[in-house]
Amino acid sequence: MEAASITASRIAPTTASRLWANTREFLDQYGLIILLLAMPVAYGIHDILEDHSLSHLLRNIKEGLSNGAIYAIIALGYTLVYGIIELINFAHGDLFMIGTATSASVLAWLIGPIGLLLACVAALLIAMITCASINAMIERIAYRPLRGAPKLAPLITAVGFSFLLVNVGQLWLSGQHVSVGDPIDNSVAFFTVFDVPFTHGDAIAFGVAIPLLLALTAFITTSRLGKAMRATAQDPEAARLMGINVDTTISVTFIIGGLLAGAAGLMWALYQNDVYFFQGFQAGLIAFTAAVMGGIGNLKGAVLGGLIIGCIQVINDDRWNATWTPAVVFIYLILIMVFRPRGLVGEETREAG
Amino acid sequence: MTSGSTAPLAEPVAADTAPILEAVDITKRFGGLVAVSDVSFTIPRRSIVSIIGPNGAGKTTFFNMLSGLYKPTTGVIAFEGENITRRRPDQITARGVARTFQNIRLFGTMTATENVMVGYHARMKAGLFRSIIRPPMTAREEWKTRQRAREMLKFVGLQERVLDEVSVNLSYGDQRRVEIARALVSEPKLLLLDEPTAGMNPQESDRLKDFMIRLRDEQGLTILLIEHDMKVVLGVSERLTVLDHGEKIAEGEPDDVRSNPRVVEAYLGKQG
Amino acid sequence: MSALTQARASLTPAFMKNERQRRTASRVLAVALIVFVAILPLFFPLTATFVNTSTIALAYIVMALGLNIVVGFAGLLDLGYVAFYALGAYAMGWFGSTYFVKEGSSASINVFAGPEAKGQVGIHFNFLLILLAAVVICAIAGILIGLPTLRLRGDYIAIVTLAFGEIIRVIAVNGESIHLFGYELTNGKKGITPIDVPSLPGYGTLPIQDFNLRPWYWLALVMVLVVLFCNIRLRDSRLGRAWIAIREDEVAATSMGIPAVKTKLLAYATGAAFGGMSGAFLGAYLRTVNADQFEFSFSILILAMVILGGLGSIWGVVLGAAVLSYIDRQIIQETGPNLLKDLGITIDASQLGFGVFGFLLVVMMVLRPEGLLPERRRKLEFEEGVGTGETMLEARVT
Repeated sequence: MEAASITASRIAPTTASRLWANTREFLDQYGLIILLLAMPVAYGIHDILEDHSLSHLLRNIKEGLSNGAIYAIIALGYTLVYGIIELINFAHGDLFMIGTATSASVLAWLIGPIGLLLACVAALLIAMITCASINAMIERIAYRPLRGAPKLAPLITAVGFSFLLVNVGQLWLSGQHVSVGDPIDNSVAFFTVFDVPFTHGDAIAFGVAIPLLLALTAFITTSRLGKAMRATAQDPEAARLMGINVDTTISVTFIIGGLLAGAAGLMWALYQNDVYFFQGFQAGLIAFTAAVMGGIGNLKGAVLGGLIIGCIQVINDDRWNATWTPAVVFIYLILIMVFRPRGLVGEETREAG
Repeated sequence: MTSGSTAPLAEPVAADTAPILEAVDITKRFGGLVAVSDVSFTIPRRSIVSIIGPNGAGKTTFFNMLSGLYKPTTGVIAFEGENITRRRPDQITARGVARTFQNIRLFGTMTATENVMVGYHARMKAGLFRSIIRPPMTAREEWKTRQRAREMLKFVGLQERVLDEVSVNLSYGDQRRVEIARALVSEPKLLLLDEPTAGMNPQESDRLKDFMIRLRDEQGLTILLIEHDMKVVLGVSERLTVLDHGEKIAEGEPDDVRSNPRVVEAYLGKQG
Repeated sequence: MSALTQARASLTPAFMKNERQRRTASRVLAVALIVFVAILPLFFPLTATFVNTSTIALAYIVMALGLNIVVGFAGLLDLGYVAFYALGAYAMGWFGSTYFVKEGSSASINVFAGPEAKGQVGIHFNFLLILLAAVVICAIAGILIGLPTLRLRGDYIAIVTLAFGEIIRVIAVNGESIHLFGYELTNGKKGITPIDVPSLPGYGTLPIQDFNLRPWYWLALVMVLVVLFCNIRLRDSRLGRAWIAIREDEVAATSMGIPAVKTKLLAYATGAAFGGMSGAFLGAYLRTVNADQFEFSFSILILAMVILGGLGSIWGVVLGAAVLSYIDRQIIQETGPNLLKDLGITIDASQLGFGVFGFLLVVMMVLRPEGLLPERRRKLEFEEGVGTGETMLEARVT
């Protein structure tokens, strides 16, 4: 029984609808990249026309990459946790703030007695351990018991802990902006290329970030725990059946996230020199945007996203108005979530259906 | 029952003999996986037809395309002469297609009655303001919908005492009944049942079989079935279609299809 | 029947077991409660702190009821509800004060505003008209904010709505640099002040807060009753059922004929409208509209009220809102600090707001996530994991 009536009426794709379909595909593939490049390219052109040199933009980008390195480290914490249990760890940004406060205190305490280098190392270790412990504790107390509950429960608990940490920071820092001084002479340049100075601050940012990333990558790809983490992120049930202790794996993930937050805290203290109890909220949201931009659950994506967001932030702060930067970052976040939720590099980390 | 606001694509020779649903060259690709491949399929009015096939054959995927949950990668689906290929599920339901699910998908925390009342959503008119102000017309509509829901539940065999029981507390058989009642209450012309006898014992399957025949004969419903239970399939279907690996490998009267060597091979003799 | 239902049944007194009798009993209880709340301020001095706190609590109850529609009924996790507070309050600031006037000009638009506003510069609408404007503005804003979230999963909806809330806040803070037809959009942290005193038809102008708080209290109470009425009607209606169906199982809901987009947008719009109404009231009551009022923590405060009361449970949310309002205003800002002082602890208690709040949230979720007066649905969700809304099949369907 041939359905002649339908075949005859089947709508042949018109040129208009084909063009629309192609446009949509193009936008889907490259839209995000275009969106991200729009601002830098526009300013680049502006610089060439005005200053006849790209050095202003290059300085912005360098600073953006340094800032972005810090955001990348924080974003990794978000993406690791989300990849493994699909929870947005709301408290992560404020954990980072605790890291900055810890680092600031340790530096203030130890720079005199044992000198700059040792003080920095000590601050790094103490901040990392502090944040890792806090994160592990939060996971144990709050998230683990709520794993079966509707998603709302752990999310609200995360917000609750976020507020608790904010208060701890508030009391610790007496509600003020605390200056770390400038122990490493941030603005002094090692060398200058194309009129762009590479300063001590940049050295710290990359000097801490790059080894951390290498260590993390090595850990994830080669160690048993790292493999367990990747397996659990892909399919927790299968991982459990394979004999992986999912609970431990999740705890380890949180610990690593905490270590990263602490390290980022030290980087921030040395690079930005200003520590404030409410920084965690904003930095957290920016870092989360970075994680989503790169592709939530994807480590390379988190790093890429962090660097890009850093650049966007610096360019906006410098060229327009720093008070508007949060809004700009959030508009990017919304656009990404709506039009390309998988981000730049992302794929589904969890098998669906 | 509303018959939609669009004109049919082609004037049928005799309205009664035009198929109620036509699907032409339906293909569904999920990335690299081809779930359904070039399947053409029609459903004659007032009939009970079945789709069978081994697990993973693409039956539920095909079903989901008919009810609008998936969009075919290529192909056209027409219901009552209207092209519904790109329509949303709620639009398709409003036009007279209702379905049940393989894994029962009741609204667990609603009572049986409330579940069925939801099924009538497309036929009710109350919007935001009428819901708040509740003029007499709306109050009456609410009351009538509730009565209709309860009657439908009794019609499918639910006992009075569980009509207001939260559906997650109902027995498996009762939950299946609620699902069917929920589908029927929207006054569909075409009913899609996805493995309705799963988990039922032979008596219950038999009762469902007779129930389906009654629906067709007394209410003029057309029914499309996905089934694994061969007794039910053979006892109730006027026509069988067999899918395997996303392709249609046989179609025709049950006895012919049964003895089709390709069909036997597809099942490797497992079912019978 | 489940064990829980049986236990509950055995504890109910015999005369309440009949459904109709139970319904009458709860109606009587509700009326008694409302009467009690209405005469409450008469037991306190005209400008008692308690009446002040209560008025604000009533406004927060309206907010919580609005958010309850979005999060409780429809299951859309909105973390940016403060946006509607802001828009409602700014509606009051724009249309009910001397704000919108150019330097040196004395233009004034007066639409049924009270006698005080006669001859004053700026735009002055009648209070009720401003409420209406706030409702309309926020309904539209709700739809605009909801649109991008339609195809997103739960926690992503949270982030997007949060982002919108923050964007509104940044706009509020920077409003002085935004110029619309030559007027500054907001007054940033300085705030738009003073706000016109409402003048109600048939009543006249309300007294100033320094002299008599009671009419403000009763105005807020009327607002609560209106919103309560709307909520109760909606819950047991076609739309309410549609919202709950979408929350429980969107795939099944659409297959039953419920249009997902329209239904979700209606939830956002309705929830936002109530938020805007309350925001406009608060703008007038607090006599100022400034950007500091619109922080993210406010969204969490209202969400906490809804959760504490029991998501989706109308009376639960009323209770949760009342409890948290008092905790927020009375205990954190007054009783607490006094207590600490008496105990000799030198921590400035006003600096503990975040911590106390955070602690409450954690305790709430760990001990009683279903809330104080959960509706039967929530109990089932948390006890038996039913209808949590997120299934893997749902995630895959395009």
